[in-house]
Amino acid sequence: MSDWQERITRETAPAIRAEHELRYRLSAPLVASSAVWADLGCGTGLAARAAVADGKPASTILVDLDEQAVARAAQELEMPEAERLPGDLTDPAQLERIGQALRRVKGARTVTCFEVVEHLSGFDPLLEWMNALAGEGAATCVISVPDDAFWSIENPYHATSWGEGAFAELERLLPPERTLLRQVALAGSALTDWESSPVRHELEVQVGGDAAVATHFIAAFGPRHQELHCSALASQADFLGQRRWERQRESNLALAEKEVQRQREVIATQYEELRSLVRQSEEWRTYIHQLERELGKPLSGVDEGSE
Amino acid sequence: MRVAFLVNDLQLSGGVGVVIQHAKRLSTLDGWDVTLVLVRDDEGPSWHGYDHLPHLHVRTRADALSDHYDVAVATWWETTFTLFELSAERHAYFIQNLEDRFYLHDRAERLGAALTLDIPVAFITEASWIADTLAVMRPDAQCYLVRNGIDKEVFSPIERVEPATVGPLRVLVEGSPTVWFKQVPEAIQAAAAMREPHQLTVVCGDRSALGEVAAERVVGPLSHREMAELYGQTDVVLKLSRVEGMFGPPLEGFHRGATCVVTPVTGHEEYVEHGFNGLLTDWDDLQGTARQLDLLARDRRLLHYLRSNALQTARAWPSWDQASQFMAMALTKIAQEPAPSGVAASARLLADLRGAVEIHHGYLVERNNFAYRALRFEERLQHLRESRPVMAVLSLRRFRLVRYLARPFHPWTQRLRRALS
Repeated sequence: MSDWQERITRETAPAIRAEHELRYRLSAPLVASSAVWADLGCGTGLAARAAVADGKPASTILVDLDEQAVARAAQELEMPEAERLPGDLTDPAQLERIGQALRRVKGARTVTCFEVVEHLSGFDPLLEWMNALAGEGAATCVISVPDDAFWSIENPYHATSWGEGAFAELERLLPPERTLLRQVALAGSALTDWESSPVRHELEVQVGGDAAVATHFIAAFGPRHQELHCSALASQADFLGQRRWERQRESNLALAEKEVQRQREVIATQYEELRSLVRQSEEWRTYIHQLERELGKPLSGVDEGSE
Repeated sequence: MRVAFLVNDLQLSGGVGVVIQHAKRLSTLDGWDVTLVLVRDDEGPSWHGYDHLPHLHVRTRADALSDHYDVAVATWWETTFTLFELSAERHAYFIQNLEDRFYLHDRAERLGAALTLDIPVAFITEASWIADTLAVMRPDAQCYLVRNGIDKEVFSPIERVEPATVGPLRVLVEGSPTVWFKQVPEAIQAAAAMREPHQLTVVCGDRSALGEVAAERVVGPLSHREMAELYGQTDVVLKLSRVEGMFGPPLEGFHRGATCVVTPVTGHEEYVEHGFNGLLTDWDDLQGTARQLDLLARDRRLLHYLRSNALQTARAWPSWDQASQFMAMALTKIAQEPAPSGVAASARLLADLRGAVEIHHGYLVERNNFAYRALRFEERLQHLRESRPVMAVLSLRRFRLVRYLARPFHPWTQRLRRALS
């Protein structure tokens, strides 16, 4: 089942994996020729493998909120020596630590931060930190945010809402030396022989134009921002996995709805019981106040003068 | 970071409300110290209709003069008069509209508001169209875009839009009837020209200025919460404004499940898509607007489609928390960057001033020509009045019989007299 924290796992839908992979592939030439690479929000490292397809940097820093995810990423990337810095990217102290780790290595530096900004309740420390790094020429940063606004996606893990408008706000805050890209979705089909023998096709795809709606926005800024080049990636749909996952989700949803229904009934019953108890307690209070009045004593539970 | 936002007052208004939303959130950030500076001398530091915010400083202009700020931000063209009086490392201008458009062409304020766009500051604005305009007008100046958020607690998006299949179309018109560019009387007129059953609600702060109108309900002034509730009982927000900055009201309506019929006013392009989440109507076309409303009243599928998409659009709109993070980043960037060059700004200011002087000169020449022609006309009339034949005719008025005989010509003579006066 897919990770609801949106980390890429082997069960993640192929289209989503392809999107993530393409972003990492985009930065692969930068990463390969860097002395140090920091991947912020590295997750399980599955998609990040594409970033080291062209070669590994001498030094790598892996950052994620989840310590286990960082460990798994190091394993997945076959980089046991990678520096692991689990922590919160909204925390300036954590950013400072990453900055120090980056600056310790001499040479070109690359920072990737894909699909992370929208998860942060406060994104300004991270973006200001990256701006400063790029502005000083200390590192080239590549970030991406999703176009949630187009589909009005309400993702419980997205703390902020991104789209054309929000990206336009961000764009004006980035250094003037930058490269901006739109990532668009592809749809397609292929034919295989009857035995479904594996075969590799070179595809020609027309992208862009008026009908192109971005699924993600990508910005690269820093000394080597111009080294990014547009490309495309298509992968075979995993209908078996998708069917299993979707049916599992439907099944889980039905169970969750049933559970919610049951809890609602419990709450309704408890509410009625509570009302009955409150009624009883009111009757007792009235009776006690009656007795207290007869005895000429102050009424219990009543402030003087408010009777 | 010490930031001062300059405001005229703390009266309840859209523009001041936006500044307070940002100031409120920025003041909660670590290391941020935010002050609202009231630039009008007669304004005391008291809150008018806003929740009192103890962690936000409010200072008078006189008090603020002795303080020092990292960034001082003007928020309305008149507040720029005080901007450079304050001691600050950087000066900025938060532009919510091109404010010269608020004034008709013969008003001095129009020129004043326009010239404030030439001062040597970094700009922050809330709408893309303003940012694009400033990029053309002031290519030398930095301009940051910080779109307004929506108070998602007050204008909380409803869960789903209930289809309105029966009953009259519920139309809402809001705005001040005395502000010319809000076109409130015209909107009421358009709704009144509908043929299909409808229920018009007008919201305005000053009901007496509205007079007698063809509306089922006239309410107001309303708090934001009351407004949100009212939007929730509305199918269509009708706005025929001529000037808007970010154009908030239809978007607030979107959050509560209302669609809109609006003019293509500046700011609409941020979120209104014709035929998807609202309808665009043409300028000065009240009959056409009425027909669009009739269409929505008749075609409930279209109405539901637009309302549902409006709600989806609203869901994706950022909250104030997100908007204020961009404001924090913009202010930080302004503080870090070098101060803008006064030379480029002065050149621009003087060029605009020269243009304004030439326009004003043109007006004066035109006015003097008119005055000269009027004078010549009056002189001729005076000569005519004083000529002997006319005086002789006029002197006949003392006879009752002449006055009696002249009575049928009375309307013409009166009209002539009025024309010559």
